[in-house]
Amino acid sequence: MMRASWRDHAYHAVLWLVALVFFAPIAWIILSSFKTADQILATPPVLLFRPTLDNYVQLFARDSFLHQLFNSLFLSVSAVLIAVAVSFLAAFSFSRFKPAGTDFLMFLLLSIRMLPGSAAILPVYLMYVGFGWKDTYAGMILFYAMFSIPFSVWILKGFIDGVSPRFDETGRVNGASWLRIIARTILPQVMPGVIAALIFNFIFVWNEFLFNYIIGGLQTSNVPVALSTGLYSSGGVDWTFISALTTVYLVPPVLVVYLFQRYLLVGMTFGTVRGEV
Amino acid sequence: MLPGLLLIPVLAFFIVWNTIPTLWLLGLSFYRFSLTSGRAPIYAGLLNFQNILNDSGVWLDLSRTLLFVVSGVGIQTVLGVALGLLFWNSGRLPGRRVALTLLFAPMVLTPVASGTFWRLIYDPTFGVLNAMLRGVGLSGANFLGDSSTAFAAVLVVDVWMWTPFMVLMTMAALASVPKAELEAAEIDQLSWMQRMRLVLLHHGKYILMLGILLRTIDSFKTMDLIYNMTFGGPGTTTQLVAITLYRRAFEAFNMGWSSALAVILLLISIAFTATFIFVLHWRDKADA
Repeated sequence: MMRASWRDHAYHAVLWLVALVFFAPIAWIILSSFKTADQILATPPVLLFRPTLDNYVQLFARDSFLHQLFNSLFLSVSAVLIAVAVSFLAAFSFSRFKPAGTDFLMFLLLSIRMLPGSAAILPVYLMYVGFGWKDTYAGMILFYAMFSIPFSVWILKGFIDGVSPRFDETGRVNGASWLRIIARTILPQVMPGVIAALIFNFIFVWNEFLFNYIIGGLQTSNVPVALSTGLYSSGGVDWTFISALTTVYLVPPVLVVYLFQRYLLVGMTFGTVRGEV
Repeated sequence: MLPGLLLIPVLAFFIVWNTIPTLWLLGLSFYRFSLTSGRAPIYAGLLNFQNILNDSGVWLDLSRTLLFVVSGVGIQTVLGVALGLLFWNSGRLPGRRVALTLLFAPMVLTPVASGTFWRLIYDPTFGVLNAMLRGVGLSGANFLGDSSTAFAAVLVVDVWMWTPFMVLMTMAALASVPKAELEAAEIDQLSWMQRMRLVLLHHGKYILMLGILLRTIDSFKTMDLIYNMTFGGPGTTTQLVAITLYRRAFEAFNMGWSSALAVILLLISIAFTATFIFVLHWRDKADA
C-alpha cells in the first residue's frame, strides 16, 4: 500500500513538472512584467527582485492602450455574436433540410479557414481599399464574423445532427412554429456547441494580428497590432511594455481554458472530435 | 422555402467576403498590376504563374515550408502522443484542472506575443536561455540571429506552442477506447505493444489523424509567430511561404504576382480540406 502511494506521488509530480515546463516561458513573461527595464535586461537574469507595479501603471496610463483594449473586446465580441447567430440558422438548415449543395457549401466554408492568412486577406484588402471600408468598425467586424462562420457552422451542424428530429416532429404536430421549436427544444440541447463556437471564435479574433494590421488602421487596431507596432521606444525594444501588455492580454484566454476546459476539444477541432479530457 | 431563408445570411456573408474577393483574386492573377505604379492593370495571361514557377526563391520558400510542416508536426505528434499517454491515468491528479490549463496555455497566448517574447528568451546577451547554457558550462549562441540555428529556433517555439494540442488529441483518442476492451486486454495479459495496436490504434486512429491533419494545415499557415520573431530572417532562412506572400503583396505591392501565388496556395489548401473531409467520412463509415 505504501509503495503504491509513493508511486502515485511520483507520477503526479512528473505530470505537474510537464505542465510547468510548458508554462515556464509564460511564467517568465509574467515575472518580467513586475521588473524594471534594467532588471529585465540584467545579466545574468534575476529571479529574486523587488516587484514593481510601475509597468502596469504606465500601461494603463496610455490612452492608446485603453482604446486598443476596447477595440479587441468590441471587435471580438460583436463579430462572434453575429457569426454564431447567423451560423446557427445555416447549420439548422443544413442539418434538417439538407438542401442541394450542402456538402459542397460545407466544404467551401471549411476551405476558407485552411488558407494562409496573407492569401485570404489579399483580395479583401483590395476590395476594402476600393470600397473605402478600410479601418471602419463595420468592415472589421463583418470580416471577422465571416472568418468565424465556417468554424461555427461546422460545430453547430454536428451538434444539431445529434438532436433527434423527433423533437421537431412533436413540436410540429402540436402546432409550434419553427422559430419556437428552435428556441425551445433545439437551442437548449445544443448549448455546449454554441458555447464552444462562441469561445473559440472569441479566442481567434482576440489573438488575431495580420488581418487587423492590414485592413484596420489607427481607429480599429487591436492589442496584438499595438504590441507589434509598439515594440520599439527610445532606441531599444520596450520590454516592460511588452511583458505587462502580454500578461494583461493573456488573462481572458487562460480563464476561458480554465472555465471551459470541457469544450476545449470540440472547439479546437471544428466540432469533428467530441469527448472530454 | 424555409431552408433557403435560413441560409440567406450566411450566403450573403459568403458572397460578399468570399466569392467576390476570390473572383477578384483569380482575375487579378492574370494581370500585371502594381499598386505603387499607379497604372491600370495590364492583361498578362499566364505570365505571373510562369514567373512564380520559374522563381527559385519561391520554390525554396515552399520547400522550407514543407520542411517546417513535416518536422514540426512530426515532433509535435511524437511528443504529444508520448505526453498524452503519460496523462492517461491523470484522473486523480491534485489540481488537475489548473495543471491542464498551464499545459494548454501556450496554445491561447497571442502568437504575436509569443514570437516577440521568445526573442528576449533567445537573446545572446540578455536571454535567459543563454544564461542557463552558460550556467552549465556551455557556450551560448545567437539562436535567432545566426542563419544556421534560426530555423531550428523557430521550430522549437512552434513545437512549444502546439505540442499541447497533440496532447489534447491523444487524451481524446485514449478516452474514446471502451473500458470493457481495456479490461479484456488486461485479462488476456496483452503486452503493452499489443494493447497499443489492438485497442488504442483501433479506436483512436481517426482522432489522431484528424489532429495531425489540423496541425498540418495550421502549420502551413504559420505567419503571426514568425512575423515578430524573425520576419523570415536572417536572410531568408525562416521565410515560410505566408511571409513570402506578405512581403510581395504588402511591402512590394506587386498585386498581380501575389494574387497568382495566393491562387496557388488556395489550390493547396483546397487539397488539404479535401483530405480532411475524406478522413472524416472514413471515420463516420467505420463508426457506422
